[in-house]
Amino acid sequence: MIVSKSFQWSDARSVTVIIAGLALGLSAEARSEERVLDTLQMHGFLSQALVITDDNNFFGPSSEDEGSLKFTEIGANVSLRPHEDVLLAAQVLSRRAGGDGSDASPKLDYGLIDYQMLSNQQRTFGIQVGRFKNPFGFYNQTRDVAFTRPSILLPQSIYFDRTRSLALSGDGISLYHEERFNQGLLRTQIGFGQAQAGDDLRRTLRLDTLDGSLDPRESAIGQIRYEHDGGRIIAAISTASANARFDSSTPGLSDGDFFFKPWIFSLQYNEENWSLTGEYAWRNSGLEDFNNPALNFDVTGESWYVQYTRRFDENWQWLIRYDSLISNRDDTSGNEYEEKGLGPAHSQFADDITLGLQWTPHPRLLLAGEYHHVDGTGWLPVQDNPDPSETSRRWNMLLFQLSLRF
Amino acid sequence: MVRLTALALTTVMLLASTMTSAQEMSLAVVAHPDVTTHQLTRDTTRAIFAMRQRTWPDGQAVRVFVLDNNHPVHARFAKEQLAVYPHQLQLAWDRMVFSGTGQAPNRVHDQQAMLERIATTPGALGYLEREYLDDSVQVISME
Repeated sequence: MIVSKSFQWSDARSVTVIIAGLALGLSAEARSEERVLDTLQMHGFLSQALVITDDNNFFGPSSEDEGSLKFTEIGANVSLRPHEDVLLAAQVLSRRAGGDGSDASPKLDYGLIDYQMLSNQQRTFGIQVGRFKNPFGFYNQTRDVAFTRPSILLPQSIYFDRTRSLALSGDGISLYHEERFNQGLLRTQIGFGQAQAGDDLRRTLRLDTLDGSLDPRESAIGQIRYEHDGGRIIAAISTASANARFDSSTPGLSDGDFFFKPWIFSLQYNEENWSLTGEYAWRNSGLEDFNNPALNFDVTGESWYVQYTRRFDENWQWLIRYDSLISNRDDTSGNEYEEKGLGPAHSQFADDITLGLQWTPHPRLLLAGEYHHVDGTGWLPVQDNPDPSETSRRWNMLLFQLSLRF
Repeated sequence: MVRLTALALTTVMLLASTMTSAQEMSLAVVAHPDVTTHQLTRDTTRAIFAMRQRTWPDGQAVRVFVLDNNHPVHARFAKEQLAVYPHQLQLAWDRMVFSGTGQAPNRVHDQQAMLERIATTPGALGYLEREYLDDSVQVISME
């Protein structure tokens, strides 16, 4: 009562001042909001491929009839800078690579707050919190975006689908630092968090027939990258320690732990019209602590590729690549594996010769075609070929892809 | 004979150097007039145009403007001033945009539009051929 009275007799001028102040404040806010909205960006992409193989299936029933159209990638992202040091970014991805249509249900690919706390002429330092993409080798962070790939399929020895979910992203914190020198720059990134452990991993570990669940555990990833002379020479070392636990509900079977400790060494040389790229990966993985020793293993595999890309006529690029994978360094031929009755020897390696062509008739359109001649089935997806003994050692694959972006 | 060769060589070298300086002279890095930074190192300029660095050295948000990839001035700017190839820049932007680590630069279709946007956008950074310059923007010198 007293308040309302005192308000009533308060000076009309002060009310005017308050209203004017509010209006000013609001309009200032509106202005800054407008400026923030100026930074709003939306981007997306859509890729559809046709996969044809003579033997073996890759991303759907590719060896049947007219091939497989079950390789589709659709993504959309949004980013905003509410403050000069802060970036908000999120991307939703729908991806089908063989399997049934339910695989294509949209998932959060990344969603993060990025705070760049230091940024001057010499260095940049920042932190990302949320779901961040793992900097793993040259291509992992944007492995599902055709426009950032040199070919329809990335070199499968390193960027294979079998344990894709594990490498994809982490839920946690990532720190990055960039230091600029006279002739180059050094970029370091370290991430801590939970990796993803999807059905792909479970199938690959052959745990899909056992009752229980495979849950992600604390993982870490790091990359050091050096770019010399404006990116003429790029070198990177990536490493990770990704972990998951199998929580068993199978009678008599204990819980067990999965570990994955890869190293990737990457090197690229860029000229105006050509690039030479090579990556070498050393992959240690295994299962431990199961009371059934038949389930436990500890193997180290090796992968490497060398790739030459050549740009010509402004909108064209061709590629040649040799890509090699060995699942187990102690059994490079796979003979021991076969003798133990675990599966065919050729499932333990894969050598892939790839020839590719890309055409970008418009900045928003990419058309690509490529041919693979493969010896071995080391990275062939398990879900497309449930019975390894029915696979062929030597096979050929032809792919075509149309990609759009905005 | 020796003198003649020397003369010819000198002439060629002089010619080559005037040609390069003429080309270098014709492009300028430009910014909104209120930007307080007047000088950038090439590394910082490259980091900003690659969209890895988001602020001016004094902390103000930077808004990057570029011409279309196939615009000849864009290619020249990338190669001469930043010492990177346009396809490398495009790939760097794509990797940022689709991995949640950064944003794409703002596109303008011609240099007239570049001039207007830089003059009216606080924190703006771009590039222009010198004949397009006027008092509505400031030239940033590169070390």
